Amino acid sequence: MMSCLRPFGFVARTLCGLCVCAFLFSGAPGLASASAAADTTASATPSIPPPRLPGARVMIPGPLRSFLRMAGISQEVQPDEVLPLVARNSYLLGYGENTQTEFLRLLNRYLHQARELQILAGQDNVIHVTDCNSASTLLRVLGYRLRAGCDPQNMYLETTNATRAFLTIDSGFPLTDLEEALQKGQPFTYAYPSTWVPVMFQESDWLSLGPDRKESFGNLVDLMVNDQQISRLYWAISKNDPITAAALDASPGLHRLLPLAATLDFYGNQIEIRDGHVVTPGGAGAEAQWKELVGASPAQPSEFVTRLLARDNGWLAAYYDALAHVPRSQQDHLITDQRLKRLYDAFRSPEAQALATRGVFRRAPDLLVLLTRVQWEPDGSVHVPGGLDAWKEILKQKPAAKLGKDWGVRNRTPDSAEELLEDMVGFSRVETDSGPLQIYLAASEIDSERPADKHISGDTVKLMAGQYAELSRWYMTFAEFPELSDASISAFVKAVDGLDKVSNQALRGNALGAFQADIGIWQILARQGEIPAQKLDASWQAVIGPYAGLTSENQLFDAARNSLNASVEAATGQHSFSEAALVDLLAGPPQQSPEGAQVHDTVAARMRSVMSDQRLVSLDTLFALNDGLAQMASGKPAPEHLLALAGELRDFEMPRQIFTKSEKVDWAPRANTGHHAELQIKTDLTRVIQPAGSKAQIEAARAQLAPLLRDTLVGLNYAYYEPPGAQILHINPLFVRSHDFLGISVVGSERIWQAPTLIGAGVSAGGGGYLMGSLADLPYALASAEQDMIAPEYVQALIWKELVPQLLSDAVVSRWWNVPQDEMHIVALYQKLGEQLLTACAINAHTRERVTAMLSDRLEPRRMSELIAAMQKPDAMAAMLPHMMPEETFYIGTQFEKLYPADVALAGDTGHQIADLIQHNPADVNMERISRDFGIPHPTLAQNSARELLDGKPFPFYGVYSSRLFGESWESGNLYWARLADEMGYSPAMLNRLVPDLTRQLVSKIFATDLEDWPAVLRAMHETGDQLKKSRAGEATAASNAPPAATVQ
Amino acid sequence: MPKRVVLFIVLLAVPFSGRGPRANAQESQSRIQVNVVLVQLSVAVTDNKGNYISGLKPEDFAIYEDKIPEKAATFEEGNTPAHEVAHGPLSDDRPFGSTAADTAAELARASNANIFVLFDTSNYMYRGFVYAQDAIADFIRSLEGVGKVALYSYSRDLSRVVTLTPDRSQVLHGLRSTVAGDDAALYNSLLLTVKDAAPLTGRKAIVVFSNGPDNASLVPPEDVAELAQSTGTIIYMISTKAAQSEPISTAVFERMSKATGGKAYFSKDWQDEKKAFESIRDDLGHLYALSYYPQPNPNRGWRTITVKLVGKNLQKYHVRTRTGYRLILTQTTTPQQAPTPAEQSKVEAPQ
Repeated sequence: MMSCLRPFGFVARTLCGLCVCAFLFSGAPGLASASAAADTTASATPSIPPPRLPGARVMIPGPLRSFLRMAGISQEVQPDEVLPLVARNSYLLGYGENTQTEFLRLLNRYLHQARELQILAGQDNVIHVTDCNSASTLLRVLGYRLRAGCDPQNMYLETTNATRAFLTIDSGFPLTDLEEALQKGQPFTYAYPSTWVPVMFQESDWLSLGPDRKESFGNLVDLMVNDQQISRLYWAISKNDPITAAALDASPGLHRLLPLAATLDFYGNQIEIRDGHVVTPGGAGAEAQWKELVGASPAQPSEFVTRLLARDNGWLAAYYDALAHVPRSQQDHLITDQRLKRLYDAFRSPEAQALATRGVFRRAPDLLVLLTRVQWEPDGSVHVPGGLDAWKEILKQKPAAKLGKDWGVRNRTPDSAEELLEDMVGFSRVETDSGPLQIYLAASEIDSERPADKHISGDTVKLMAGQYAELSRWYMTFAEFPELSDASISAFVKAVDGLDKVSNQALRGNALGAFQADIGIWQILARQGEIPAQKLDASWQAVIGPYAGLTSENQLFDAARNSLNASVEAATGQHSFSEAALVDLLAGPPQQSPEGAQVHDTVAARMRSVMSDQRLVSLDTLFALNDGLAQMASGKPAPEHLLALAGELRDFEMPRQIFTKSEKVDWAPRANTGHHAELQIKTDLTRVIQPAGSKAQIEAARAQLAPLLRDTLVGLNYAYYEPPGAQILHINPLFVRSHDFLGISVVGSERIWQAPTLIGAGVSAGGGGYLMGSLADLPYALASAEQDMIAPEYVQALIWKELVPQLLSDAVVSRWWNVPQDEMHIVALYQKLGEQLLTACAINAHTRERVTAMLSDRLEPRRMSELIAAMQKPDAMAAMLPHMMPEETFYIGTQFEKLYPADVALAGDTGHQIADLIQHNPADVNMERISRDFGIPHPTLAQNSARELLDGKPFPFYGVYSSRLFGESWESGNLYWARLADEMGYSPAMLNRLVPDLTRQLVSKIFATDLEDWPAVLRAMHETGDQLKKSRAGEATAASNAPPAATVQ
Repeated sequence: MPKRVVLFIVLLAVPFSGRGPRANAQESQSRIQVNVVLVQLSVAVTDNKGNYISGLKPEDFAIYEDKIPEKAATFEEGNTPAHEVAHGPLSDDRPFGSTAADTAAELARASNANIFVLFDTSNYMYRGFVYAQDAIADFIRSLEGVGKVALYSYSRDLSRVVTLTPDRSQVLHGLRSTVAGDDAALYNSLLLTVKDAAPLTGRKAIVVFSNGPDNASLVPPEDVAELAQSTGTIIYMISTKAAQSEPISTAVFERMSKATGGKAYFSKDWQDEKKAFESIRDDLGHLYALSYYPQPNPNRGWRTITVKLVGKNLQKYHVRTRTGYRLILTQTTTPQQAPTPAEQSKVEAPQ
């Protein structure tokens, strides 16, 4: 249906006219006046009117609320979102092995029941029951009956038809109201109206797709819940912007698109048709190459799109989609010198049968990562970390060669940087997280942070490549801290090699844990700036060094202690310290302000509570025991308190057992819990202290301290990264001790240095869940473990595993100890400026032109078209503002300041403040610093755990190891919290306390439908912020109402 | 040694914060601090046929903690108000800022039991979901002598559908609004429920309606059972014979409920739970509630509680109560001192 979309074509054309004519900024009239409207943090109250004019609608039987419950859709969606989400859930959740799932069967049954209830509701759409005797028909439809007939003493409902009763409950029918009305002899009335929701195009357009099928359906909703392919096409087109969707409907039309629905769903939402022309990635300069690749001109949209989607089983569309997501600056590189064509030749699959749409997730996520992150030399050539010779060798070696062969990748010896890039693009189709491409990206990221004269050497790249499958997660440290030299990388790889060769399994396990925990402590201190930059390289090597050549537990104890000392000394200059002092150090640098000091104490207390609940032996006790025993071994008497200290080790008890040993063996044979804890229970040093044992006995006793030291060091890492809302860390005292560094919990596990995975979920006799693997990526692993301890506030909340751990871990990795107040303030100001500019767009064409141009590289076509539509009217823009992501308004503000610095001061008080801060305090408010302090880590995208704000479109959702790309796209959290704190008068240090707690609340409020439901996260965030403001206002009111304090005369 | 170890007794009873479980849930603090030391016991006394024995007096009970005789501080039978029996032990063992009279009086005010209904709405319950709802509705309607009821449901996550309320209608509305589906994380959810119950005074029980398997919890049942024991929370498990096809769940249901002083029931199906409901109602109506202030005890770990009946005539009866509680050792930053009895008064319960 064109009619409902035609106005948007008009809007776009009008805007194009404005863009040509209004090229001068005329003092931004309206901008200052708009500032008042956007003067407060956006609130989630108004809803955006859907960017459509009233048009075709389709009827859903029964109340919308009930239908949404049954269809698995959030109650917070807008009416025009309903049918796309029904289509999405129908195709994605409705079928398994070509048969309908229970979800779809229930939805079908519900529609049937709803129609029956509508008949009962009659023309006035109200279900009436006057008394008990008139309730029987309704009760039969609902699947219930009155247990004792109309006996008023025992008038309770009970199930007679479980199938119907289930639908009644699941759809939220007010059964208890009915029951209570019957009990009280009162009439029951329940409004049961049909619901009309907007339909894309005309309902008949969709129904006409069905005649050739076995069944015909009189209603689009029925069609959707019974036809997977039509549903998918509906969902796919709904993701395009309305102008493009209308163009596709007109030609090639729904019938021709139907067989291409899967490709359009996965890779089609970046397709943009304007004025009879496809706007291709790379712009006009790339059109010739696209024409050649596709076999049709972008000037012929119908032909172009059809061929694009059909070509090479969808791989060309996947390539197009990746290019469209890449920032324009990268696109410019990728289209020069016929790169576009050459890279596609390298990318496409030689296997005719391989579908780019196989499975439930998009394919080739690494192509998007590569094209986004590939580095360029100043002359425009491809950067080659370590030099070409190193890569020739790496690609010749067996792992790369085999991978290339298995996946049909053209794997040649590259003779130029250009050929190397082509090879990497070829490898991007391979589903692995440890192939040559990942090595290339890791090395590139390290180089990107280093000065040109300190780029990584070929030998180092080869050394890294040799261990990449094992150590990839640890290499991120070298990107995060560019001060670490090649010698530090080499020292680390060699140390790992040495530890892997320790033959005694128990010693190796303890050494792996202690080594990684010591590095973890160094990372925390380095990240918080407590180890000065000039000491990073030397201190790293001092932390690594002690672990060389371990052969005994006693050596391990000394190594772990010396390694820890090296970190503390680099941070404080002191050699000796207590555990309390170490916890204070880890909690953050000392704070001068009372509020900062209080927050610091809170963070430290939180860490101590974890250490306490894990019942770990303190470092002080361990060190004192070790020193005392060493003294005894040298023939001196035992120190005075040694016996009491030894007794402390005996305080630890295992939890009271529910299962017998044999039950545990039968029901949880590979569980790793308990081994370490039992060791501690068996440790009794008192026997060698009084009376004093022989030297050999004392040395043997001292050796028993090493596993305990490992646990304490590991515990400090766990405590630091405790996710908000954590429970396991406080209830299961075996959680830290059970960490399986050797990978013995899973047969054949070889990834012991990789990110830890959760083991033991749902294994009731296994002693609880625990982590297996290394301590790399510990914050994310802990967040994954603890995420389900947050109780959602909404019944149908979707707390998806792919996003929540990212949100929680970002909240604990980010710390704000060294953030100046001005920096936080300007973060808030930029967001306000962004909102003011958007508000001004509705009344000023020139501003509109500028903002539209800024965002074209940032927003997806559909969202961009919604924004452009809102820019036409002040009230529409006012309604749109709360739906803008903080990262978007921040981007608009910063880009405006960057592109039009002279005009910023014209933007009212906000602009004045920004200009003033930049002029007077540039060191504190520059973008590099803001990015570092208010960005988030992007370990999957950037192979770097440092915080950073990235420009670009949000990443789509990918499966398996790339699923985190999606979560890493959400950069709004820290920006929003910073603005909230600034507006409420908190100091930046307060963010250390606020952000974890607010993030937990945010998670509990998410009410989402699909994996890419960012608006749901935004709603939850606004709700959380509003709640904080209200509670603060409540406190202020309470304080003002409090009786005055007595005055001393 | 630059730190000391202080004894913290895991919750025994009365919170001073005045916050209900909802407040705890919303704030979701991992730990709360409770400034009290009073061990509360719910004790069932039955004959060989399982009939409840009523009319016993405080002096008929002998309480031992790790074989150390304890003096009852308060005593209550069934739904009668609690009354103070004896003052606590020496002031050294008293908490900061509280007296035996304070806590006993507060306990006396909270004589009505609080019940948390925890409803399994996971995929495992799909077939019996509506029948289980009917059964729970019957159970809620039938609760007498119970102050407040809360309705929680769980699948992969816990949902606090209705927090503690005296309004049964509200609970029934909440019950009928639950939705089915997803994995089952019983022990995670039970943990969170025990923590909500922990700060409450008086008798408190969790009644779990579940068909058994847990395929998502990361918390082991042992830890949940310990916390329930340490906080004096009774757990009843109501299930069907379907659960008995899975031996792990059966074992946990029976042992966990027994350890907390509750029971597990496996009826033919959800329509046949009347006996279980009657039994729980009877239990709640006939439990003796005793409390005591622990005598000095060097044990800093699990403390075993034994309750015996005094006198020959009473030896034929059976006593059921929780079997103990755990102390938590907590590190503080003040160095070089041994714990003093006064320090033992600070109670910290993991939340």
